[in-house]
Amino acid sequence: MIDAALIWEWIIKSLILIIFLTVGFMYVTVYERRFLARIQSRIGPNRAGPFGLLQPAADGLKLIFKEELIPANADKFIFLLAPIITVIPALIVLAVIPWGEAMVIFGRQVNLFISDVNVAVVYIMAVTSISVYGITLAGWSSNNKYALLGGLRATAQMISYELALGLAFMGPVVLAGSLSMVDIVRAQQSSLWYVVLQPAAFLIYFFASIAEINRAPFDMPEAEQELTAGYHAEYSGMKFALFFMAEYIKMIAISTIGATLFFGGFDGPFVDQIPWLGPIYLLAKVVIYLGVLIWVRASWPRIRYDRLMQLGWKIMFPLALLNVIITAVVVVLVN
Amino acid sequence: MPVIGTIFYAFLAIVAVGSALGMLINRNAIYSALFLVLNFATVAVLYLALGAPFIALSQITVYAGAIMVLFLFVITLLGAEKLPGYEPIKGHRIVAIGLAFVFIAELVLFFFFRNQVTGPIPLIGPEFASPRNIGVLMFTEYLLPFEVVAFILLSATVGAIMLTKPERKSTTKLSQQQD
Amino acid sequence: MEDQIFVSDLPSLDTLYPGKVTLDTRSGYSGFIVPREFLLEVSTEIHDVWGYDMLSSITGVDYFPEKMEVVYHFYRSLGGGALVLKVQVPRDDAVVPSIFSIYNGAEFQEREAWDLLGIKFDGHPDLRRILMWEGFEGFPLRKDWKEAYYEGDTKPFSSRWPEGVAEHSENKNIFNDNVKYPENFDPDKWIASGEEALYLGLQKSENGKDMETESIVINLGPQHPSTHGVFRMAALVDGEEIVDLKPAFGYLHRNHEKIGERNTFLQNMPFTDRLDYISSMSNNFGYALAVEKLMGVKPPERAEYIRVIMAELTRIESHFMSTGFLLNDLGAFFTPALYALKERELILDVFEAVSGSRMMCNYFRFGGVVRDLPAGIQETIKNLAFERLPGKVDELDQLLTENEIVRSRCMGIGVLTAEQAINLSVTGPILRASGVPYDIRRADPYSIYDRFDFDIPVFYHGDVYDRYLIRIEEMRQSVRIIQQAITQIPEGPVFEGKPQYQVRVPAGEAYGRVEAPKGELGFYVVSNGQANPWRYHVRAPSFINLTSLRQMCLKYKVADVIAILGSIDIVLGEVDR
Repeated sequence: MIDAALIWEWIIKSLILIIFLTVGFMYVTVYERRFLARIQSRIGPNRAGPFGLLQPAADGLKLIFKEELIPANADKFIFLLAPIITVIPALIVLAVIPWGEAMVIFGRQVNLFISDVNVAVVYIMAVTSISVYGITLAGWSSNNKYALLGGLRATAQMISYELALGLAFMGPVVLAGSLSMVDIVRAQQSSLWYVVLQPAAFLIYFFASIAEINRAPFDMPEAEQELTAGYHAEYSGMKFALFFMAEYIKMIAISTIGATLFFGGFDGPFVDQIPWLGPIYLLAKVVIYLGVLIWVRASWPRIRYDRLMQLGWKIMFPLALLNVIITAVVVVLVN
Repeated sequence: MPVIGTIFYAFLAIVAVGSALGMLINRNAIYSALFLVLNFATVAVLYLALGAPFIALSQITVYAGAIMVLFLFVITLLGAEKLPGYEPIKGHRIVAIGLAFVFIAELVLFFFFRNQVTGPIPLIGPEFASPRNIGVLMFTEYLLPFEVVAFILLSATVGAIMLTKPERKSTTKLSQQQD
Repeated sequence: MEDQIFVSDLPSLDTLYPGKVTLDTRSGYSGFIVPREFLLEVSTEIHDVWGYDMLSSITGVDYFPEKMEVVYHFYRSLGGGALVLKVQVPRDDAVVPSIFSIYNGAEFQEREAWDLLGIKFDGHPDLRRILMWEGFEGFPLRKDWKEAYYEGDTKPFSSRWPEGVAEHSENKNIFNDNVKYPENFDPDKWIASGEEALYLGLQKSENGKDMETESIVINLGPQHPSTHGVFRMAALVDGEEIVDLKPAFGYLHRNHEKIGERNTFLQNMPFTDRLDYISSMSNNFGYALAVEKLMGVKPPERAEYIRVIMAELTRIESHFMSTGFLLNDLGAFFTPALYALKERELILDVFEAVSGSRMMCNYFRFGGVVRDLPAGIQETIKNLAFERLPGKVDELDQLLTENEIVRSRCMGIGVLTAEQAINLSVTGPILRASGVPYDIRRADPYSIYDRFDFDIPVFYHGDVYDRYLIRIEEMRQSVRIIQQAITQIPEGPVFEGKPQYQVRVPAGEAYGRVEAPKGELGFYVVSNGQANPWRYHVRAPSFINLTSLRQMCLKYKVADVIAILGSIDIVLGEVDR
């Protein structure tokens, strides 16, 4: 039954998720800068607050006071709209991820997820598929050749990698026999983590998701060395901050989805006795996953655009397809 | 509750029709494409309200996420966002208006002469539009149409690849000789 | 004819082509004088018959008020000394035939001579200003051209002298007074006509007939994160493929040579540091060699060893930088660059210890170096050469060479064949990556390089990957040289004669060239016996290597252009001068 308490519960959980993502975004930037610095034998930002923990506040403050420039020949409405519609998909994609087992808070049984729809995986695909609009529109509306090229690259890249990404989801889905994230986590509790059962799907997910969020070494749309800053070349101030925020929230999102699909989500030892451990396990997995993403960025140069497309269409897509077919056949035979 | 439902439906209907009109009227192809995306999204919400989340999300993934992104890609790639003020095909406006009237006539006929519903509307279970049911339906009752559609799409893909394939050397030489 | 060539032979052109070539008999001068009507004929002969296939330098000297002289330095890619040709023309009719059709490497150098000296090269395909801006009036290197704030022909200016009037001209001279603008010129309303000339110079592809595709011009730079400075390339692209490309530079031009001619000989030594500011020791070396040739002094043994050690340390740090930043250009996020910079810092520590400055060393003097190695630094260098650097070069090699993305981004990209490289006057690592084993340290040895045991690495694909590999290999060879030099270095003085502020340089000309990290760095110095050089010309390797940029980039993608530019390893301080 839908009652007022349930609506309040939804609102509170949504708020917690959004606050987690925005605060997480701030600290992922610090995490990335510090970790990159250690890899590069530097120290990294450590002046603002203890261990540089106030650095994101300083960065945010700086960006707020920056002048907001809109190029003279830009399409002003879409130019303003683009950063907003880039952030929204990033913020809502995690709504279907379970954080832990249901537990009792203030005498009330609370599920630790916002929604357990039976089409969670399709929901994730739908949201990721529309996240490209912001980038394309930003590139187009800036009226700048570099930005336009960046937007075009982003579009082509995302379409190419979405297929492989969607097919990589299908491995865990076929094994768990459900499109619900909660069911996928439960299925992993009873068997092995899917990174063991589905290594090919995990690798395809890992690379396709990096390409999907335009991180190094697939950061073609913003390729600093070629396109200066690509689609957000003309953005400044808070509008730029929104793009920046979207990029890091997407990082958190793919880490969380990856951890849920392939690393058992909130699963871990003793989680059935102490439900509080669920969110902690998930957070730890996400942090490690993020660390790998940063490590990848520190280690590899960017691959060239045409080779990226070749990799997407000629290697990743057929491999993902093959993986789905093999998994399906095996599941049918074993059952 | 029914009042809220009606208001909700009215709001969605207005947005859907408005965005469709906006898509038709706007002279900037980018805005037209965006209106169409909004239209798809509204229709998806309608599906959701009807208790069919799988279809709603497929609608967003396929139409908004893939097809319209490609449209947008082509528009920005060709720099074709400014629509020409003239008619590319002569007289196509008159034909279009004519067709629209035919469509409205059909709708009107359908509403007036359709079979009147007798008896209560059959109740559908919560699992009616679940992915499992859709999958089962697709591979049993609608297997033939499903396969036909798959085949048509495959042939379209092959055709597209053939069209974009670079011409073979011999044909190029021939055409050069003709020049 | 070919088998009659001996590398050491200098053909006596005056007897071979009587009536067309005469010997330059001025005291302190060498080479041959050719009348301009025979220049093309003679240069074709020396290229085809005598094997002088490398054009090292073209420059002009303004012998005010009599004549203008164009000086050409040719070398053989097999090695050996220079063949110097000179063409003398009247100052008001300074027209020479362009040798671009024989030596493509003349393209930028002839443009430079036109830009700064007003020597017109007949038959040059694109004779535009190159370093100065397009609306500029006059030719600044001519002796009768006066700059803004002109105080005197040569330093030290009397107004700065204690007993002179302590009044500086910038205080009394309003800026515009001395700048000569063309007639009806308003700087506020000026539109760069050179832009159009630049774009018109880009050639559309000829095979675009079967499909109508739209080419667009993309300006990479001047403000661009990966052009290594204020450098610009106007690229005509079809999709992402480069159809034509022209570099544009001079944004940081300060007319190094004019300032150099105002300076005294010694004042130029710290000024050379500012050319390729990554490798100031090599710049010092080249200039010291040129002036020492004029003065006829030879540095003592210990100074020679110190010079070699410093020059090779410079090569290592410059190659570390270039390798690290090449990876950055490929899109790596600073990790290789910072690993490289870490080692560079250690070398800069040595420079700081010996010269007092980390980058602007100003360490060499005519006849030695400014001061001896401080106590303990010899141990530091030994430690670097035997312990630290070999391992770190290997580490860089291990981390990068086999990286799949590096290989796919670099192999087969920006190919320059050996013939093209020689013809385009390319020098340094780029030339050797194209399969030409030409290194001045071996081909035309200077200082004491003939005493050391080292190899000249050569690679044959001429692509970005080979240019990367050759830098790694050259670092290893430089380490070998330092190892030998630091163990053999004798005790003794480091300076010949008494240090003085004002050196006496006899009249004459000299061309001193060294194998700088970026390529052949040459200094052409003409003295008339005064305290200041009459002509001071820098043959900057980055500048001339850029001549080949267009050739390397054609048919590749935009992303490759960045990698190719990174593999040329330019320093804008040297390109723009």
